[in-house]
Amino acid sequence: MRQSLQPFFYWYGHTPLANMMSNSKVLIASAQIAHLLGMTLLLGTIMMVDLTLLGFGIKRYPVSRVAKELAPWTAAGLVIMFVTGPLNLASEAMKCYDATFFWIKMGLLVPAVLFYFTVHRRVRMADPPVSGFRARLVACVSLTLWFGIALAAKFIGFVGDDLRQPAGIFFN
Amino acid sequence: MHLLGFCRWLENTPAAMAFRNSTWMFDILETFHTLGIVQVAGTIMLVDLRLLGLGLKREPVSDVVSRIVPWTLWGFAFMAVSGFCLFSAEAVKLYDSTAFRLKLVLLALAGLNALIFHLTVYRRATEWENAPVAPLRARVAGLLSLLFWMAVIAAGRAIAYGPGYDRT
Repeated sequence: MRQSLQPFFYWYGHTPLANMMSNSKVLIASAQIAHLLGMTLLLGTIMMVDLTLLGFGIKRYPVSRVAKELAPWTAAGLVIMFVTGPLNLASEAMKCYDATFFWIKMGLLVPAVLFYFTVHRRVRMADPPVSGFRARLVACVSLTLWFGIALAAKFIGFVGDDLRQPAGIFFN
Repeated sequence: MHLLGFCRWLENTPAAMAFRNSTWMFDILETFHTLGIVQVAGTIMLVDLRLLGLGLKREPVSDVVSRIVPWTLWGFAFMAVSGFCLFSAEAVKLYDSTAFRLKLVLLALAGLNALIFHLTVYRRATEWENAPVAPLRARVAGLLSLLFWMAVIAAGRAIAYGPGYDRT
């Protein structure tokens, strides 16, 4: 499965865009910083909705009201992430291809986005609000998925392209 | 200069050496420090958006502040502790880092901005907090806060691109 994508990563890492990115420290740094700011916007707004679902946030109002007001900012955060993410990938495509945590991140990203637009959406927009265990469970799943992605992303940098190493050297 | 001496001493304390030499400690601290950005900047950003009239418009400002700011402060304490541990591990290198110095100045400015806001225009919040558009001074405070925190994040990230760092 992973190997079948190798030609794509190789091609993507050698496109003119990728060459331009990897030759400029300023471009790499800017794309990383923009990705980090996007993360703040995306996870910050999602976290506030989830905290409200858990009963910690702005609990004097129905969750759906808070969620509706924050939705455009979450969407903006998602757009920033989906623009700057591939830019960052371009500058180190092969490193990501060979990094366990990159694939963990991508593996979590799919369910996180699907969950956000389906189950999470139904619960955060519910009027009257969904209460009790179900709301808390949905909030916990959401927080776990999104912060799992952020955690995995950070670890790409720490662990690096471990899949290029002989088997057994996972953390060194 | 005295500060450099302090950095030298700090870097050689047993705790700092442990952070620096352990395989995991520094990475774990840095991970939590990075995720903590979401809690600090992500929450204060919502307050800023409210002040600017760009989000949570239907909620009175004092509700937004009293519900969200405790999360920001709690997150900031967490960031300060993890940040200080990270600093201790490479204090001398950071002493020489322009990005790190800039980050500290920006942090001070962000704090000052929040302090001025709370001591002045927020004192009279009951007079204006239900209006969708806050007074100019509150909007300026919101905008400055947004800009300062974005700059703090950018400067923090930029440390890794300075001299002495190979991480890109």
